[in-house]
Amino acid sequence: MFLLDKLEQYAGTDRIALLYQGQAVSYRDLSRQAEAFAAYLLDAFGSDDAPVLIYGHKDLFIPPCMFGAIKAGHSYIPVDTTFPPERVCQILEQAAPCLVVNLSDTELSAAPLIDKNALADILSAYEGRFDGIDRITDDHTVYTLFTSGTTGKPKGVQITAKNIAAFVDGVAPWFDCGLTEGVFLNEISYSFDVSVCALYYALSRGFTLYTVDKQTMNDPKALFVALRESNIDFWVSTPSLAEFCVRSAQFREALLPKAKKFVFCGEVLTKKLAQEMLARFPHAEMINAYGPTEATVLVTAVTINDALCADSRSIPIGYPFSNLRAIIAAPDGTELIDGKEGELLLLGDCVSPGYLRRPDLNERAFFTDTDSGLRGYHTGDLCRRENGLIYYLGRMDGQVKLNGFRVELEDVESNLLRVENIARAAVVPVVEDGKTVALTAFVCLQRADGLSSLARAKKIKTALAAVLPSYMIPRKIVAVDDFPVNTNGKVDKKALSALA
Amino acid sequence: MLENIIDIITEISGADEGEIDAGTELFDEGILDSFGVVQLFVQLESLGVKLDVAEFERAQISTPAKIAALCE
Repeated sequence: MFLLDKLEQYAGTDRIALLYQGQAVSYRDLSRQAEAFAAYLLDAFGSDDAPVLIYGHKDLFIPPCMFGAIKAGHSYIPVDTTFPPERVCQILEQAAPCLVVNLSDTELSAAPLIDKNALADILSAYEGRFDGIDRITDDHTVYTLFTSGTTGKPKGVQITAKNIAAFVDGVAPWFDCGLTEGVFLNEISYSFDVSVCALYYALSRGFTLYTVDKQTMNDPKALFVALRESNIDFWVSTPSLAEFCVRSAQFREALLPKAKKFVFCGEVLTKKLAQEMLARFPHAEMINAYGPTEATVLVTAVTINDALCADSRSIPIGYPFSNLRAIIAAPDGTELIDGKEGELLLLGDCVSPGYLRRPDLNERAFFTDTDSGLRGYHTGDLCRRENGLIYYLGRMDGQVKLNGFRVELEDVESNLLRVENIARAAVVPVVEDGKTVALTAFVCLQRADGLSSLARAKKIKTALAAVLPSYMIPRKIVAVDDFPVNTNGKVDKKALSALA
Repeated sequence: MLENIIDIITEISGADEGEIDAGTELFDEGILDSFGVVQLFVQLESLGVKLDVAEFERAQISTPAKIAALCE
């Protein structure tokens, strides 16, 4: 497989692959650890190729476990610690992994399971015992990422070796910047697909991943100390992180003097932020990129300049990568001409084979084009193309992007209904400048609880935290006697949004 | 300024009038997260107060009173 080949390219060197909390892992050590883990998996599970679930945050053992799993012919499922144990259980039920590697401090009830100490023992016991056989074929699933599902349970997007190869090829003209080494920002949780830029693009180019964890991100002062220390060449993040950083006058070229490229993806990039970034980093290239998890990370990109910011339209999501087809389609699937609004369909080797064990969803979301034989995906994103550039206009369903995380509003609603004393729930995004900044939940109680708004919100948020990832918990929870309804008798979310 | 800060946080969090006071622990009580801080700082800026996020640890901005003191 291309990545493993590329990793091997640096495996004989002491070049640093990962940096985290002052600890460094060289490419040599990364390869050694991955091979040791692969040897253990082959020994323990033989030809059983069920996935390996890795639960943790930014632990240095995560990448070697990922690469070790694929070397041994398995796939991996990275689950961030923002997912509470109950949500992990729902993933375990669907994915039936052969092994759970728990690199967190949270206890999980799963079997078989190894913790960090057991893993460290395994890595030393199996060092040098990998047989070196390449077990990865094009259609081999490499990873499955679980994302918000409308039923209130997560759904798993399966990504193959071919999908990743297509992504790395497609993104190369946008990402390549003449560097043969450098520092790449690695702050995105591994259960969010944008982290694939660091794992599969940056590591295959010999970059060093400068890893920043959630705790640092939550402490502004510490984050800026880390950024100053990082000396990064390449930045990939959600606009939200940059939005946070520009709240400091320090966030400019002098802080990151080597930064050559900034890539923003995962949610709407506002003009205000784009202009601010261009002014603060006049020598760096700013790229806005877009892609759904189902089509492997990114599928379009554009370099932001003053002309795009001055344009009356929003910042475009970009030009499709050269190795895929992007079509704006009418509801009946026919391609629309430039300037017309329609659903964005993606076709190419980057498109996932489908959701894990969800034929019902696959039927609706995926298709295979009869003429070209290409795999296709209905993004659910309403877009328009003008002069080759694609503009994002909104969602066709109840999905929102919050700080880069993909959230199905119905997922939050169904989990709210599991909370004691909630009879009905409706969740709406709080939108500022075209970008979702928070969620507000409206709830009808079964009976009066005598609590103040804040006390009730705290109680409900605590209950939700047991079942939902923290980023899906609404900031504001408002109790109402009844929901406004529209002419169809449905909950009028527009009216609720005005109150959010 | 303290009152303005309390008003903004009350609005962001959906608290009842009077529920948030000078000493409310904003992070411990789950009222604000990092992105909530951004919203607060943006709104403070429209009141003419510019705070630099990089200069504060969480503990320094954990209550409305502490934030108000920084605005002086």
